[in-house]
Amino acid sequence: MTAMRTALLLTLGCLISIVTLARPVSYTGGWTVIGESDRQSSAVLVHHTPAHQWSAGPRIEVNRDDDFALYSVQPTWLAKRWFGADYQGNLYFFGGAGIASGTNGNPLDDRIAGYGGVMADWETRSRFASYRARYLGASHFGEQFMQAARVGFAPYEGDTGDLHTWLMLEIDHRPSDSDSVSATPLVRFFKGPLLVEAGYNLTVNQPLFNFTYRF
Amino acid sequence: MNLLIKTIVMTTALCSCLLSTAQEHHDHEEANSSYASHSGHGASDGPVLTRTEDIESALADGGEPIVADVLGVVCDFCALAMNKIFSKREEVAAIYVDLDTKALNLVLAPGASMSDQTIADLAVEAGYRIAEVRRGDAALGSAS
Repeated sequence: MTAMRTALLLTLGCLISIVTLARPVSYTGGWTVIGESDRQSSAVLVHHTPAHQWSAGPRIEVNRDDDFALYSVQPTWLAKRWFGADYQGNLYFFGGAGIASGTNGNPLDDRIAGYGGVMADWETRSRFASYRARYLGASHFGEQFMQAARVGFAPYEGDTGDLHTWLMLEIDHRPSDSDSVSATPLVRFFKGPLLVEAGYNLTVNQPLFNFTYRF
Repeated sequence: MNLLIKTIVMTTALCSCLLSTAQEHHDHEEANSSYASHSGHGASDGPVLTRTEDIESALADGGEPIVADVLGVVCDFCALAMNKIFSKREEVAAIYVDLDTKALNLVLAPGASMSDQTIADLAVEAGYRIAEVRRGDAALGSAS
C-alpha cells in the first residue's frame, strides 16, 4: 500500500512541475520534453533547439501552494560552455512570459506574469554540482524567489547506452515559505534519451520527480 | 534545528562519498593508463577506433575510419547529440560515441570524404568541441 501510494504521488508529480534542469539546451534541431515536480510546483516544458546556444518552447507550471497556473513561453540561452577532456560546465540564462490563471477555485483574474533566472552546472562522469535561481512575478498571485544547489556523484561510470545512476542532494531556499530551506536527497537514472529523477524532501515530506526526454 | 541536523548529516555523508569516489576515480584512471597500450588506445596519440558491429561492417565495406577526440562528452545526452547530428550526413556510414575514450568514432561511406573543419562544425552544432582528428591507420592504431 505504501509503495502504491508512493508510485501514485510520483505519477501525479510527473503530470504537473519548476525550474528546468538537465541540459535545457539540446543539439541543433533537437526537441526535449522536461517534467518537474518539487515541493512548491509542478511543470512541463517542451522545447526546440534551433541553434546550439538557445532553445525555446511552451511551459505550463502549476503552483500548488498559491493556487495558480502559469502558461508561458520560455527561451533559454546557453551563455557559456566550458569544455575539458573530462568535464563540462555550463552557464544558462532563462526567462518566460505568459498568463497566470487561478486554479483550485482561486477567484483571482488572469494576469500577465513573467520569470527569469540563471542556471550553472559542472559535471564529470562521476561528479556533479549545480546551482539555479529564479524570480517569478505574477501580479496579484504573488512573487516568488527560489534558489537551489545540488551536488552528486555516480557510484560507477557507465559507458554509452548503459544505465547511469547518480546519487544527489539538493538544498533549496525559498524565502517566502515557512520552511525556507529544505533538503532533498534524490537518485537520478539516465539511459539513452531518458533521464529520470526521484527524491524525497526531508523537510516538508514531499516527493520530487523530474524527467527529461530528448529526441 | 531539526532541519539543520538533517542538512548537516546529509552533507557530511555526501562529502564522504564524494571524497571516496574521487579516490576511486583517480585509481581507475591510473589503471586505465596502464591498460591503454593493449586496449585500443595509442601509446601517445589518443584512443583508436572503437569497434562496434556497425563500425566493423562499415570498415569491411571500405569506408575511411576517423576518430575525433571530443571535449566535454560526459553523458549519454552528449553521445545522443553527436549521434543525431552526424547520422544525418550521408557521408557517415557508422558512428559510435565512446564515453570511456571520450571519442567520436566514424566510418565514412566508401568513396566519401569529410574534412576536419566539417567534423568540427558538426560537433559545434551538437554543442561540443573537437580537440583532435585521426584518420586511416592513425585511427586504427596501426600507424608506425
